[in-house]
Amino acid sequence: MSKVVEISPTTRHEGHSKLVLKVNEEGIVERGDWCSITPVRGVEKLAVGKTMEQVPKIASRVCGICPIAHTLAGTEAMEASIGCDIPDDAKLLRIILQCANRVHSIALHNILILPDFYLPGTETKINPFSPEEPVRSVAKRIQRIREIGQTIGEIAGGEAIHPSNTRVGGMYLNVSPRAKSKMYDLAKEGLVLARDQMELMLAIIKNMQKRDFIDVAGKKIAVPKELGYHNQGYMAVDPVYGSTSLDECPRWDLSRFMETRPWDWYMGEMTVDLEDKSYPVGGTTKAGTVVNPQMEACTGVPMYDGQPVEVGPRARLVTFKNFDEKGTWGQHAARQLEYTDSFYAMIRALDELDPSGSVLADEIPQGDGSLGWAANEAPRGTDVHLARVKDGRVQYYSMLVPTTWNFPTCSRALTGAPWQLAELVVRGYDPCVSCATHMIVIDDDKRIVAQKLIQ
Amino acid sequence: MANELGNYKTCVSARSTDKEILKCSQDGGIVTQLFAFALEEGIIDGAIVAGPGEEPWRPQPMVAMSKDELLAARGTKYNISPNVSFIKEATRSFGLDKVGIVGTPCQMQAIRKGMLYPFGWRDVPDKIALALGIFCMENFPYQSIVQLVEDHAGQKLENVSKMNIGKGKFWVYTDRGAVVDLPLKVTHKYEQPGCHVCLDYVANLADISTGSVGSPDGWSTVFVRNAKGETVWTKAVAAGCFETKPIEQVKPGLELVTKLANEKITKNQKTIAGRASFGAGKALRNPYI
Repeated sequence: MSKVVEISPTTRHEGHSKLVLKVNEEGIVERGDWCSITPVRGVEKLAVGKTMEQVPKIASRVCGICPIAHTLAGTEAMEASIGCDIPDDAKLLRIILQCANRVHSIALHNILILPDFYLPGTETKINPFSPEEPVRSVAKRIQRIREIGQTIGEIAGGEAIHPSNTRVGGMYLNVSPRAKSKMYDLAKEGLVLARDQMELMLAIIKNMQKRDFIDVAGKKIAVPKELGYHNQGYMAVDPVYGSTSLDECPRWDLSRFMETRPWDWYMGEMTVDLEDKSYPVGGTTKAGTVVNPQMEACTGVPMYDGQPVEVGPRARLVTFKNFDEKGTWGQHAARQLEYTDSFYAMIRALDELDPSGSVLADEIPQGDGSLGWAANEAPRGTDVHLARVKDGRVQYYSMLVPTTWNFPTCSRALTGAPWQLAELVVRGYDPCVSCATHMIVIDDDKRIVAQKLIQ
Repeated sequence: MANELGNYKTCVSARSTDKEILKCSQDGGIVTQLFAFALEEGIIDGAIVAGPGEEPWRPQPMVAMSKDELLAARGTKYNISPNVSFIKEATRSFGLDKVGIVGTPCQMQAIRKGMLYPFGWRDVPDKIALALGIFCMENFPYQSIVQLVEDHAGQKLENVSKMNIGKGKFWVYTDRGAVVDLPLKVTHKYEQPGCHVCLDYVANLADISTGSVGSPDGWSTVFVRNAKGETVWTKAVAAGCFETKPIEQVKPGLELVTKLANEKITKNQKTIAGRASFGAGKALRNPYI
């Protein structure tokens, strides 16, 4: 006889989400639903009628952690719709900005996940805020990597959080030779720190892989060897940057994409009948509470080739670098491997960047209403923005955000895990829930059908 | 009135020792020379100055990162150069860590306010390394300068080699040697109305402030206002960048500066008081309380 347990809210990630888990008598998840409970943003509706310059800036405000990915994907979706090619130096600045955002994001995620991990060789979980060594110097290193990422983002993008330098047609300003050398210096410093940090994290993850038990609220929970495994596919368009519908060989295919409604995907109404008051922090939801993931989930369910897919660092590494580690540990390891990759990509782009080159297209068409898309490889995975621009105004806009793709995939990956470790699986995806909360659901005929939730 | 000249540590009359700088400078070449020295010494990485714009005598803020660029921005242009608008960009795409900036008293106020409340100024306040203020009675919009030079003075703006306000007149000098002076009562109506609520004549909030008033022709009066300003000024004088004279020994001296500062403040306080009863519910807030 299965029981229902709810963990709400989940912690140590961006946004608000919850887990509704159907578990067997041993406490192993039979079916899990991870759903966003962040209110819908409505950016897609706000965008309609605005100028193509405004919309990427508005879209970036959906989140404070991945605004760079949204700005870049939004801007490039506009460029894809109007058919505008940007100069090489503008593209290089965008790549630098992208990599800067990624290293910052990985470092931030390190802080969020470290409390789940044990110091190798000890039975102590890591508190990244502890003043004691060796944790203190690791925390300092993480903060320095974040600072480096944000400073480089500031120089290339004008602002570390919501970049102001990107614009439809390229960038507003190229950087000065001095700014270029400052970015070089920072990237070189960051590369050394990132390599050390990556090696440490990989050692910590390897140590976890070998463990049989994890302590959760004083109970020893057995770790299955296949924690976080799933049989869904992977989706990634580029190891570093992205792809748009303007590319000669676009690496994302709109015709393979379909979105379904949450009430056709998630579980229906149930009553919570398993409660654990000791579960951190503050216990699970009280027994007797009625839950209804179908109607509470605030995201659509995007599918690629008819199935939810995983996006993110592991998807990129599996697609482009034959990475073969699976499950939660594989995901964590893949993310750490992207640390140095990002710095190398940044340094390569800096090598090519000409500070005196033009960064704005000579001609910026105003658009004829064609559909354009841009898929940006955000830190958390493929971030696809779709747009139609006519006479400089946006007619249609949609964001398919990485964590939106990962919600249903992760829900599948929960099966087989002890329910106490479900949050661990979720954190492997480095979710950014507020970005992911969008409710423009289109059916087979590409009509918007998500009226049910609004009613 | 007390403290109309703001707080300062020292006050001298000075001029640059660099002939190249003096050739086209407004008075003593203080700002250009100080920035050139600070750049050379690594006190700043670059300075935001009023560079040449697209139209004649219309300044465009620019980030000068070499002495040549500083020289291109010598001299006063009597209309608005929004230098503060460049301060963020200087720390971004220009990649500066130590920024120098020159501006009028109101611009110094903006800088200090931004440093205290850095909304939209992330990572900017700690990068402001040297703020130089210039004396200012009032400023003109560009259209006013066009009108004054082209219509009142009857000169083509692009042929003008220097403009100056001094001895109660607005002076226009041209490349071919013509000199036209306009009484200030002609220029008053062309001033920016916004300047009439300003109660600061000598850039009280700058690290170092300077202007021609109080010193003989070709020299400038310099107020060194704080520890940072004093360090830079002492080093620059020790390096032989400036000739200096004690302000007490020059004519007209601080007396004139005080007189003009008082005039500005008294006149503008009246405007502020007048605006307080400016129509029902439309009174403008006193910016100083």
